[in-house]
Amino acid sequence: MSVLSNLEFFVVEALRSIRRSGLMSIVAIGIVIISLTIFGMFLLFMANLGNIVAFMGSRLDIVAYVDKDLTADAAQVLQTSISQIGGVDTVVYVPKEEAWKNFREEFGAKLDLREVMDENPLPNSFSIKVTSPDVLPKVAESVANFADVSEVRYSGKLIKQIQTMVDAVRLGGLLLSVLLFFATLLIVVNTIRLTVLARETDIYIMRLVGATKSFIRWPFVIEGVLMGIMGGAFGIMILKFSYESVLARIKDALPFLPVVSDPNVLTLIYLSVGITGVLLGMLGGYISVSRILKEKG
Amino acid sequence: MIELKHVSKLYTNGVEALLDINLHIGKEEFVFIVGPSGAGKTTLMKMLYREEVPSSGQVIVDRVNVTELTPDQVPYLRRNIGVVFQDYKLLPRRTVYENVAFALQVTGAARSQIRRHTMQALELVGMLKRASSFPEELSGGEKQRVCIARAIVNNPPLLLADEPTGNLDPQTTFEIMELLDKINRRSTTLITATHNKNIVDMMKRRVVQLEAGRVIRDQQLGTYSSS
Ligand SMILES: Nc1ncnc2c1ncn2[C@@H]1O[C@H](COP(=O)(O)OP(=O)(O)O)[C@@H](O)[C@H]1O
Ligand SMILES: [Mg+2]
Repeated sequence: MSVLSNLEFFVVEALRSIRRSGLMSIVAIGIVIISLTIFGMFLLFMANLGNIVAFMGSRLDIVAYVDKDLTADAAQVLQTSISQIGGVDTVVYVPKEEAWKNFREEFGAKLDLREVMDENPLPNSFSIKVTSPDVLPKVAESVANFADVSEVRYSGKLIKQIQTMVDAVRLGGLLLSVLLFFATLLIVVNTIRLTVLARETDIYIMRLVGATKSFIRWPFVIEGVLMGIMGGAFGIMILKFSYESVLARIKDALPFLPVVSDPNVLTLIYLSVGITGVLLGMLGGYISVSRILKEKG
Repeated sequence: MIELKHVSKLYTNGVEALLDINLHIGKEEFVFIVGPSGAGKTTLMKMLYREEVPSSGQVIVDRVNVTELTPDQVPYLRRNIGVVFQDYKLLPRRTVYENVAFALQVTGAARSQIRRHTMQALELVGMLKRASSFPEELSGGEKQRVCIARAIVNNPPLLLADEPTGNLDPQTTFEIMELLDKINRRSTTLITATHNKNIVDMMKRRVVQLEAGRVIRDQQLGTYSSS
């Protein structure tokens, strides 16, 4: 007595139910679509936020200043030592002459520096990139320990604040998703319960002639799954369509913004939305019929 | 086949529907349970397919102690018991065929079996020609025939009929009782609850008379009332 051999019966019964509850089913599926779309939007938003933060983090670097003059050899030795610190990605030595040249190239047009100063006021420095923003403070501390390094600067505070904000957004979104999940579940349960009530006699007869509880449950679980699949399919379509058009516009207007367009990541997000829909329906169907099966025997 | 030992039923509302019932019914017997309304006939039937559980005592059906079954085991008990109701309890949106086949489908029977057994049952009760009708298109007697077909479609060794002719005219009542008799002769134990004096007197079978939850008479080849 496998599920598969009875699948046709279950699906026919489930479709019968959806058709019978007509408008209510449509409303419930609509709400599933809306909830799943919001959930998907949150996932897309979080993915993009993560991308942006990572991008910003990779651009942030540590600058270690060396006040005294260094010989090329000494600079080379120091550079190697710094690059061996855990979490360091690249180390570039910037001699003070080069720094001065860069500075003048960048700002020379706007103000005539020669009028202000002739002497190069900048020290030698190392520009250090790290593998992830998390290790910034640790690396900075290690670099500061070198005797030749007089000062270490990095914008760690900013990255920390951003990280905190992202965590808060993630937590808030997660709570919202859970809330949304249960609110939608409630609606799905109540919709399917309408069919359960309409089919009280069917269920009574099923029990009378010896149907097992799980057998009685299946059509309702499948009804829920069908609702979840329909809601998920429409939700994914809406998400895909609107995300792609937003993506196109962002690429036009803000081409430097590191938006998520990796098809693997997007497929994963759409898949999560679909799976959530199916789970939602499954659970809804299961719960909706539980009370009526709970009576004696 | 059936053994009731000191069975009492006290409903939660305080009604004592059955009081210390002791009863033995053998294989392939035909037994009438008679008594006025409220005597406990329906409650006694419900004990057998575990729609209700006794407050005390033991109920044994086909060597199975019904009182000790876990909820998971109850469906398998019920597959061995057919039940026929006064109000038929047919599913209105399904055809005659579907109503009968339903009883097999929900036990997970194979498709080929479903078709064959459903046809046989409809044939037996004389409703094969009406297979595609809906219940609302049928007369009371025809509905009861479909209800009986559904009850016997998986060949249960025990058939319970609770006032099967309660809503029928005398001629149809007679036909339905003939049908039940035919099924009993095909080696099905049959218990019929009724307060129809005529059929009991006519069929001359074992009569168990209930009154206020007690067995007050148990007579072979009996009549409706003690003479
Ligand atoms: N589910 C129930 N809950 C409480 N009391 C019940 C229930 N079913 C039946 N009774 C009571 O039990 C007694 C016997 O009822 P029943 O078995 O239906 O008798 P009969 O079928 O002989 O008319 C009656 O007094 C009835 O009111
Ligand atoms: Mg009764």
